[in-house]
Amino acid sequence: MRLLTERFPDVAQDLWTGEDTVEIQVPRDRIVETLQTMRDDPEFAFWMLADAAAVDYGIGQHFEVVYHLYSELHPAWLRIRVRVERADPRTPSVTGLWVGAMFHEREMYDMMGIVFEGNRDLRRIYMSPDYRSFPQRKDFLLPDDAADSSAAGVNPLERPETWDLTNFSRELTSSAATYPPIDAVRDVPPEAYPEAGESADKSRPA
Amino acid sequence: MALTTDPRAPAPTEEHDSSLVVPPTPGIVIADSAPNPEDELLQSFGMEEHPQGGFHGLLEVIPTRADLVIDLIRANSLWPLLSGLSCCAIEMMSTATSKNDIDRFGMFPFRASPRQADVLIVAGTLTTKMAGPLVRLWEQMPEPKWCVAMGTCTTSGGRFKRSYSVVQGVDRVMPVDVYVPGCPPRPEGLIYGMLKLRELVMARRGEWRTYVDRGPQRLAWEGDVR
Amino acid sequence: MTATDHETRIPDPIDLDRAEEARLRAAAGLALPITAQGSEYAGFELVGVPDRPLQTEREREMYTLEEGEMLVNMGPQHPSTHGVLRLVIKIRGEVVTDLDPIFGYLHRGIEKLCENATYTTALTYVDPMDYLSSMHNEHAPAIAFEKLYGIRAPRRAEYIRALVVELNRVFSHGLMIGFLALDMGGITPILYAFINRDDVVELLASISGQRMLFNFFRVGGVNWDTNDEFLSRLGKWHTTVMKTVTDNERLITENEIFKGRTKGMGKLTADQAIAYGVTGPNLRASGVPFDVRKAHPYSIYNELEFDVITHSSGDVYARYLQRIAELKQSLHLIDQIMDKMPHGPVQAQVPGIIRPRPGRAYGAVESPRGLYSVYAISDGGPNPFRFRMRDPSFISLQVVPVLMPGHLIADTMAIMASFDPVMGGVDK
Repeated sequence: MRLLTERFPDVAQDLWTGEDTVEIQVPRDRIVETLQTMRDDPEFAFWMLADAAAVDYGIGQHFEVVYHLYSELHPAWLRIRVRVERADPRTPSVTGLWVGAMFHEREMYDMMGIVFEGNRDLRRIYMSPDYRSFPQRKDFLLPDDAADSSAAGVNPLERPETWDLTNFSRELTSSAATYPPIDAVRDVPPEAYPEAGESADKSRPA
Repeated sequence: MALTTDPRAPAPTEEHDSSLVVPPTPGIVIADSAPNPEDELLQSFGMEEHPQGGFHGLLEVIPTRADLVIDLIRANSLWPLLSGLSCCAIEMMSTATSKNDIDRFGMFPFRASPRQADVLIVAGTLTTKMAGPLVRLWEQMPEPKWCVAMGTCTTSGGRFKRSYSVVQGVDRVMPVDVYVPGCPPRPEGLIYGMLKLRELVMARRGEWRTYVDRGPQRLAWEGDVR
Repeated sequence: MTATDHETRIPDPIDLDRAEEARLRAAAGLALPITAQGSEYAGFELVGVPDRPLQTEREREMYTLEEGEMLVNMGPQHPSTHGVLRLVIKIRGEVVTDLDPIFGYLHRGIEKLCENATYTTALTYVDPMDYLSSMHNEHAPAIAFEKLYGIRAPRRAEYIRALVVELNRVFSHGLMIGFLALDMGGITPILYAFINRDDVVELLASISGQRMLFNFFRVGGVNWDTNDEFLSRLGKWHTTVMKTVTDNERLITENEIFKGRTKGMGKLTADQAIAYGVTGPNLRASGVPFDVRKAHPYSIYNELEFDVITHSSGDVYARYLQRIAELKQSLHLIDQIMDKMPHGPVQAQVPGIIRPRPGRAYGAVESPRGLYSVYAISDGGPNPFRFRMRDPSFISLQVVPVLMPGHLIADTMAIMASFDPVMGGVDK
């Protein structure tokens, strides 16, 4: 297995051999030709695309698109990882090679926001078409994660030290008046969030 | 195992809305509204306008018995709507087939069309995308109608608490009469729930008259916590 | 309308951190409803061309109506039993010319929820995905987590796993036969299928405690050992199952109406199947002998004797025959497993909250619908960092718009049922 993937010395950047998986990393612009060679070359003959997945490595970190391929000639699954930057989440589509990657890519777009260039049908597949977030990103926080978010502790109710149990008539939502409405989020400068302290773009605490 | 009407629901409000005035048509009797005093047919029966509405005199005896008969008929032939969404749908189908048979309670025909159905058994997880079509189905069902929330996903969101796309309980979007917990509830559990529903129907304690439309809060919210 | 309007859209760079922050502030303070409010897609989209701008090339192709064509919506609620699938079909008369499957009506966000759960809890979240084959749903993540943790399940556990997995396959295929007949109007086979299913499922309930969504697999083995009730039920069931299956089969297989409606219908060639990523009985019915149990043997399948069955014509009838053959093969496998079952523990010594070393693992099993695989990434903590499930029904649905054009509306459901999609798996 290792011998065969050394035919791509310039492309395969990182080789890892596990129990039954061989993993290589391929840069984004070479992925289509790599997969095509894997599929068409009789020595490789990876005719089946088993899985195409997307991984988000954290807030501020990169994405990865991971392809798993199967071949009868090789006893191991081939895992190909493509690094996609968060600021430019675009990568070529493999629907030219396997039409069945269409739904995989739609799901990756819907859940992570990775845009596949060349995909004829890149629209949301699970969420409604007008949904505005990408749920599986690490900065999409479920209410479970509220305590970890950068907005934790903004509301005095989340900080027990501010509770004044002797005074029940105090306006509990007085600080709500300073919050801008949600739709205007993009136009609001950081100074409007006086209690945010540091900038909103913090990495998730470990 | 199954709960009945929600004690938090407000008390039934007065049904007669004076803003809806149907011009009196001679010869046509509308059983729910007050009888028209100029109606010749009613005058021939000797019926004057009763202060509480409805008939009085000879015909009063028959509608009382008719109510009981109508309730019996309704309770014993509740036709469910085929609205299986997820895993609970398989258990609902299992309840409908030979081993656990709800045909013996009159619920054999799972109607495909909401216009012909009485009961909406919400079986399976309700997601925000499906909430719209489900409410539309509910609104298409003619009254009287009842709703059974089968499984924990429809009772309260179930194992998908805090998911970004699951409605935390179908009672956020429609009035529910019977909650059947379980994941999924055993067919015996669902049958028990349907029997409780029969009791409800006989006692005329449905929820659909008492539900208060809370307006735009009907659909679920992202990141909802409850 | 310029060329740039509707080409591949790059989403606007929304600063999600700030949006999320504002959302959480509002949720803490005022709780305003966010997404579904004001959404024109609150499910009330009428049949026909959607009134939002068409975004992609394929949408334009689909929703552009020519002379004499019409769009019909087979909405999320329909008498077919696969679940909440919405098909927008473009018909000319009675003939289907194009089809757009729209799903997501059952998307529960399981992958995201699993990232906040421990590994053992994540194993319970995957049950309701493909709810007709819950054991397979649990088997693949168990394999992946065991690879991450670096342990193997004891041999008796592997045999019990294979046993319950094959039992699951038996009733899943039996149900597919019933659903196929039901979608074409036959009511008896589904009743027989559910009788069969009830028997098997009570059997599985006596070993795992639940009729469906069995929470049976653990990292390192299974939860419970076989008990007397399970074994006696298994013995009794085993004597009657062949008769039940052949009864059901005889109703349908040589039935003229069934054959007339399914032979030659929805022909899927091997090349198409491979290109579209179809796996499992659908692929084998088109002639490609790919079975994960032989290709990458997991559990104890390399100790069991079985062949890979294929049929050469890829039509609905072949897929039906394929499943019947696999059902019978599963019964033989169950025989072999019960003969060879060793003694021993059924769960490896694993702590309650496992913290595998950082790494990546891929585990694949053969579910009744195809290749079901899990790609799990661990970062050393108690929760999986990424838990991705590849469901076979999801991928099989891609080939349906290719097979459908040219057939009549009534054949839509037959072709759909022959792929046996389960919307819980499609939508995760």
